[in-house]
Amino acid sequence: MALRHQLELFPGCGVTLLLFDRLRNAAALRKKAMEGSMEGAFINPAMIVDPFQILVAANKAVHLHKIGKMKTRTLYSEIIFSLSPNNNISDAFKKFGISDSDTSVLIVLVTDGEKTVNVEDIASQVEGQQVSLDELPRLTDTDKIKKLYKITPQEEKIGTLLDSIVCRMSTKDVL
Amino acid sequence: IPKRYRHPALEERLSRRRTAQEARSLLRCRRAGISAPVVYFVDYVTNSIYLEDIVDSITVQDHINSLQQSGNDTSSLLVLAEKMGELLARMHDEDLIHGDLTTSNILLRPPTEKLDLMLIDFGLSFISGLPEDKGVDLYVLEKAFLSTHPDTEAMFKTLLKTYAATSKKSGPVIKRLDEVRLRGRKRSMIG
Repeated sequence: MALRHQLELFPGCGVTLLLFDRLRNAAALRKKAMEGSMEGAFINPAMIVDPFQILVAANKAVHLHKIGKMKTRTLYSEIIFSLSPNNNISDAFKKFGISDSDTSVLIVLVTDGEKTVNVEDIASQVEGQQVSLDELPRLTDTDKIKKLYKITPQEEKIGTLLDSIVCRMSTKDVL
Repeated sequence: IPKRYRHPALEERLSRRRTAQEARSLLRCRRAGISAPVVYFVDYVTNSIYLEDIVDSITVQDHINSLQQSGNDTSSLLVLAEKMGELLARMHDEDLIHGDLTTSNILLRPPTEKLDLMLIDFGLSFISGLPEDKGVDLYVLEKAFLSTHPDTEAMFKTLLKTYAATSKKSGPVIKRLDEVRLRGRKRSMIG
């Protein structure tokens, strides 16, 4: 049910995506994430259109982590920051991170090399139902995403929503 | 591609600036609805840009060559020229100068008959509203066009006609193009 993917540019680096619905302990999870007592990036699935969006964010975060140029303090917070179309860190957390009232969560885990990810350990702390990533479109809030990423109508004609989002994520540092 | 005759610190800054400019131009294009490859990742360490791979695309250069070889060309080439004129007009209306316009820097997405054009290779691009810069941009294309593709004067003329009709700011640009053409042939600018 979990989605696992290797980062092409960083062989050996794996990204695992876990999606949970009917979430009851969003507040507790957020607290654990902030404390750093639980591994993973806790993301609001409403803001994600496709797992590729996460992979692009993770790729950038891993790259910056490896060269010591992350803008945030941890790899997981950097993934959340990379999702944002702008360079405001706290805004990124507010919009893309998990909120106390959320009823679903997308958890992203990154492993480099030999370390394996203990999915059961993470899942046991989540009070909700794990579902397949195929259910993601049902949880996506397309209108909210279009507004946040400021997608223009002309842009929608030449590509997918995912294209527009990825472009903004990858080029925001030069703007 | 590092140029070995350049001073290393300068090379790094130039590459970095070019990379940033290319990324900026690509985003600018897409935001305006001008077809350009999607940027997946920009690596400022190696100054490389990871772009969308346009599978099964061919360059306009190859397309023109194959059409001319098969002999079936005239009307389809003119329609292609119109599409190119329209695309460039929209790009220039965004004040985006490509900097290296050639027929190998314009792709045709599959299926070829749809004439869905995409601009690529923005490594020398920059932002400018000046008719001079836009005129030079077109001049570069004209020279590349006529030297690469024989007997395409009519095609380029159609391209310019559509450009002028599509672009809201074309008047001064065409004027500048004429002036640049004269500059190219005659060395002296003294009247």
